Amino acid sequence: MFKIIVEKEIRDLIGSTKFILTFAACAFLIIITFYVGAARFKLDKSYFEASRAENLRTTESLKDWNELDETRIFLPPRPLESLVSGVSNDIGRTAIIRGRGDITTEDSRYNEDPIFAIFRFLDLEFIFKVLLSLFAVLLGYDSISGEKERGTLRLSFANAVPRQTYIIGKLAGSFAALTVSILIAIAIGVLILPMMGISLTADEWIKLSLIIMAGLLYAGVFLTLSIFISSLTCRTANSFLILLVIWVMCIHIIPGVSVLMAGRSVDVPSSDEIMHKKSSLSAQLLNEFDEGMRSFTYNNPDSGPEALSKSLNSHLDSLNEVRDTKLQSFSARLEEDRNNRQKLQERFAFSLARLSPVTSLTLATSYLAGTSLGLKNYFTDEARNYQTQFGDFIKEKTGRNLGGGLKLRTSSTCSGDAGSNDDEDKPAEIDPGELPNFNYSDYSLSESIHAAATDIGILMFFNLIFFAGACVAFTRYDVR
Amino acid sequence: MFFTLIQKELRTIILSPKFVGTFAVCSILILLSVVAGIREYKTMESRYAANSGLVEQELRQQTSWGRMSTKIYRAPDPMQIFVSGLDYDIGRWSYVANNRGVKLNNSAYSDEPIYAIFRFIDLAFIVQFILTLFAIMFTFNAVSGEREDGTLRLVFSNSVSKARYLIAKCIGSWLGLVIPICIPILLGILLILILGVPLTIEHWIRISLFFILSLLLFTCFIVMGVFISSLTRRSAVSFLTSLVAWVILVMIIPRAGVMAAGNIIRIPRVAEIESLISGFSQERWEEFYAGMDQRLSMDQSGRPEFDDDKLWALMQMEDSLRQGIEQEINQYDSRLREDLRQRKGAQEALAMTLSRISPASAFQLGAMSLAGTDIKMKLRYEEATNEYRNRFCQFIDQKQKETGDVGGIMMAISIDDTGESHMSIGGNRSKDQLDVSAVPRFSPPVISLAEAVTPVVIDFGLLILFTFLLFAGAFVSFLRYDVR
Repeated sequence: MFKIIVEKEIRDLIGSTKFILTFAACAFLIIITFYVGAARFKLDKSYFEASRAENLRTTESLKDWNELDETRIFLPPRPLESLVSGVSNDIGRTAIIRGRGDITTEDSRYNEDPIFAIFRFLDLEFIFKVLLSLFAVLLGYDSISGEKERGTLRLSFANAVPRQTYIIGKLAGSFAALTVSILIAIAIGVLILPMMGISLTADEWIKLSLIIMAGLLYAGVFLTLSIFISSLTCRTANSFLILLVIWVMCIHIIPGVSVLMAGRSVDVPSSDEIMHKKSSLSAQLLNEFDEGMRSFTYNNPDSGPEALSKSLNSHLDSLNEVRDTKLQSFSARLEEDRNNRQKLQERFAFSLARLSPVTSLTLATSYLAGTSLGLKNYFTDEARNYQTQFGDFIKEKTGRNLGGGLKLRTSSTCSGDAGSNDDEDKPAEIDPGELPNFNYSDYSLSESIHAAATDIGILMFFNLIFFAGACVAFTRYDVR
Repeated sequence: MFFTLIQKELRTIILSPKFVGTFAVCSILILLSVVAGIREYKTMESRYAANSGLVEQELRQQTSWGRMSTKIYRAPDPMQIFVSGLDYDIGRWSYVANNRGVKLNNSAYSDEPIYAIFRFIDLAFIVQFILTLFAIMFTFNAVSGEREDGTLRLVFSNSVSKARYLIAKCIGSWLGLVIPICIPILLGILLILILGVPLTIEHWIRISLFFILSLLLFTCFIVMGVFISSLTRRSAVSFLTSLVAWVILVMIIPRAGVMAAGNIIRIPRVAEIESLISGFSQERWEEFYAGMDQRLSMDQSGRPEFDDDKLWALMQMEDSLRQGIEQEINQYDSRLREDLRQRKGAQEALAMTLSRISPASAFQLGAMSLAGTDIKMKLRYEEATNEYRNRFCQFIDQKQKETGDVGGIMMAISIDDTGESHMSIGGNRSKDQLDVSAVPRFSPPVISLAEAVTPVVIDFGLLILFTFLLFAGAFVSFLRYDVR
């Protein structure tokens, strides 16, 4: 009997006009999203390569390593980022590396190209969040109340059909119809990726599978919710209205209000305050640096410019070291305090916002795609690691520490000796290939799964709760 | 009969159970967005005041004209309460210095990405997404539902013309939906007055135009619902068709238009441009230093005597050469950024043209123009900041000439009484704070009423056109409708 009910449900759904229309719209959009995502990834990659090439060209034009004060690194585009944007378009994607000092990221996509910020990119998370949930609501809102209105519920129960079997069969059949149809669309979309030359690693394929699974779980939440609400009402109009209100609240109100409440409850120092404090200390330290610089005396100017340069640079290095250490330690304290408060704010916001399954979907998919809130700090940490490598490399090549803004270079032509051979003193040309590469390592598979596990668990929990609710509500339903 | 039909439609809408639910949700959302908008505006206002104070403080703490720099911040605008637009996506401040180009950095979303995950819901969003959805919900069965119920046949058993019926339907639906929505909107405006948000006459005019634009969009979707309903015989089909149309018009076409433009017109990244500028700057400075080596490495007999006057002349010459290099770099910078701006302008124009196929896009773009939070906001600030930077740098140059403070360092070799030579490094910067009272201050650009309203004319026109076309479509299809 269970199998018959499931088959009947699948047949009813698949043969209905609403299924055909909504499935067609969803499938079309899913496939378009994959295509557009792939195209955008290729475009972003070309921009990324062009930026890197231009940065390298700047380095190639230098004549010695002493002239290299800074370089730029860029957050590389990743295929999954094009499918689940998260915060990747809101944070800075360029970092200027100076060998020491603070690292700030700049040039977010939306700041650079505000036209894309008006309507935002179409991605898988948006399709799941808005369309798939609407699709699920449309499939499930009249599953019980609609049958009652049409009189078929009464007919079904004219047979010896246990209520539990009926409702579980309904749920299973609806879920199967939804899942299979969406998976077909996703499979076509996924095939587009290799066709457009986008290759994913094994880890990325697993992450993508988990993103799809999270999406289907999310759709399941709204499907079970719809059937639950349908088994609480006698009229389809009422069940649809209630579901629409819940849908609006889940998608727009609960997450937004939670974040606003968290923003009001947890005070996080603004980046402007932090910048001002750093700036004040920097100005104070600069005065100390100036004093230290003025205190330099050189008692043997006749020994030649190289000795002078070496002595002065050593003095400046030690002053810079002191200044830098103080600034770094102060900066680290401020940033740590800000990060801790931000984490507290996030925890508070997400605790409230997780009342809505949308939050769990958004968080789970962004963790898996590597575009979660932590991306900005992660990129900054990677940039900081690279800055150490860069600083060590320049020190190895030139014997000086970068940063500080002041260095002394001498040239043999300054000695005033006529007939000096410039070629002997000319430094060797640099090979930019020696410069350490910035290798951005994405979140590992285990890190991503660990981060997303809570939210996937919450989605499963919602499914179970509404499933149980539907079962309980239907046992009391008047089928006449 | 006409007024009877309107009354009937009004009663049907107001007495239906879905009206209470949707009215309650809309009211909550509208009031919530206004309250949140006001709180956000006041927070931004206090932050702006604090930041301006900090900038002033930093200016006063500087001790060298040669190294002087400052920052400018974008000022908050009360219109952001209704339409946040690009306010949180565009950088909030820029450095202003001789050796730095103007660039807006640190958008609100990049500083606090948590707000980027769940974006701010403003009134424009509610109108565009929620009210249009509810407009569809109330009108999808305007004709097909009556036909299914059998009431359409009854109505036309009287001598009622189809045209009158349809017009009465549209007016009745419009009145039944718009008037209740006005209540929370008026409450929202009352809140704004009570909470003391500073609004000028121009602001009020812009707010009024925004509400008219919202009403137009709402009307457009009401008429669209009626049109689709008059194409089908079953309300289930008209509902689904309306929903699909809503999804396409509100969510897909706007995004698709922008993405298509992004693919058709490609522009270089800012990072690429900045690398070019950085490379050019490096090359020029290397030439300058190489030239300085040559200028200072003359034969003993040709080297000028370094008495004070000659030294001053040498420093002035080096300084004017340095200024020449800086000017060259600034001109190159401006040229590249101007070229980038023009190409971006072409891409943006194409994107907006393509996306305006949807009335929702026309509304969004029009609302942002009225609020001053459109794409031109970034351009306005960049232009104003560039103009300020020119004044600032001119003032600093003047001060440097007056005081001789070039912000640099001076190395001097001296010989003491014993004949030993010593070298010392110093600077001619003042250890005391400078008198910065005369330093030019930045005035945020103010958008005039004409500037805000002129670009919106096209969006008003488009919405009226869409509404008219949809109504004409509904009219034509209802004339052929089988009412039995």
